[in-house]
Amino acid sequence: MGVILIDRQPGATSPMTRSGGPRAGDDRSDARPGDVWAEATSGFNRWVAGEAAGLDDLVAVMTPVLWHVVRAYRLSDSAAEDVIQNTWLALVRRRAAILDPVAVGGWLTTTARREAWRAAGTKTTPTPVEDEDLAQVLPRQRSAEDSVVQHDEGDRLWAAVDGLPERCRRLLRIVAFENRPDYRELATELGMPVGSIGPTRGRCLAKLRVALMQAGGI
Amino acid sequence: MSELSRDALLDIVREVYERHDPVPGHLVAAMQAAAAMAASDLDLELMTLVEHSTELVGARGSTSYTLRFVHGDTDLLLRIAVDNGRSRVDGWIVPAEPMTIRALPGEEPTTHEAVVSDSGRFALTDLPVGLMRLRLEPHDGARPAFATPTFEI
Repeated sequence: MGVILIDRQPGATSPMTRSGGPRAGDDRSDARPGDVWAEATSGFNRWVAGEAAGLDDLVAVMTPVLWHVVRAYRLSDSAAEDVIQNTWLALVRRRAAILDPVAVGGWLTTTARREAWRAAGTKTTPTPVEDEDLAQVLPRQRSAEDSVVQHDEGDRLWAAVDGLPERCRRLLRIVAFENRPDYRELATELGMPVGSIGPTRGRCLAKLRVALMQAGGI
Repeated sequence: MSELSRDALLDIVREVYERHDPVPGHLVAAMQAAAAMAASDLDLELMTLVEHSTELVGARGSTSYTLRFVHGDTDLLLRIAVDNGRSRVDGWIVPAEPMTIRALPGEEPTTHEAVVSDSGRFALTDLPVGLMRLRLEPHDGARPAFATPTFEI
């Protein structure tokens, strides 16, 4: 099944990260953004046309995406599941409101983010301090597991991503799993002006690039 | 050391999260079940409420009353008791038929279920109070499921 790894967006392959042979990614969801959205649309269309399996397929292809988007809000496993379930119930009940089947994936991620943001907001108090500022002062806490010698490339990649400021981690995780997140809503959720989402994303990517180089192996 | 493109970086982000915070194994199946159930509710046939007894107030503020619904040849009698903020539903289906009864509380995602006995009786205990409906699923697969309208306990 390794073939699937190659079958991603044009130009998106990063052969350098997988020179070490079989490794991370091989065993996980094999659908990639691009395919996911088309499959979601196809499932939705078949379901609306009366085929129950279409709904199953739509749920199967989009639930993993929703998981990663929702977990970017630091919800517990069970809170994340509740949000995802509510998202699916909302889709079923309001399917008539989805006029453009091509947009069904975006409708789902937007609904899930809204729910997740609300769920996260009721439990955590926002901190007035900028994450980026804090990150420069405090060393990120490492669990005992993390401090063990990072022996393979997967661990180094994780350390680089996990070492980013909170806001970058959230933004990049959402952008990585969503097709075209709505910047206006993201801006509200992240407490940023709409116009700064693009530049912030750029800065976060730059930080990641540097972190990866410092971690070596890339 | 060449510059990693934006897409390559986002690929890495995806890979590390897929590996370090993977989708729980049961999640897809659970969501398929929840969605399928919600979808089948959309065109569920509803029973008709034919009787609603007046409330009987018991000792210590507990109350009980009965509801009767019909659908085709099926008659459903419910006795609902509320005590201490929780409720209990004792049901009787005539004619007796093997079915699974699911209670769908309006505000809780959890469902409670019971199987109808040979005599047509079933009991659902420790239900929340509030909006509620029961979904009746005949074990005879040829018979479609049906449901009571939403009622308030």
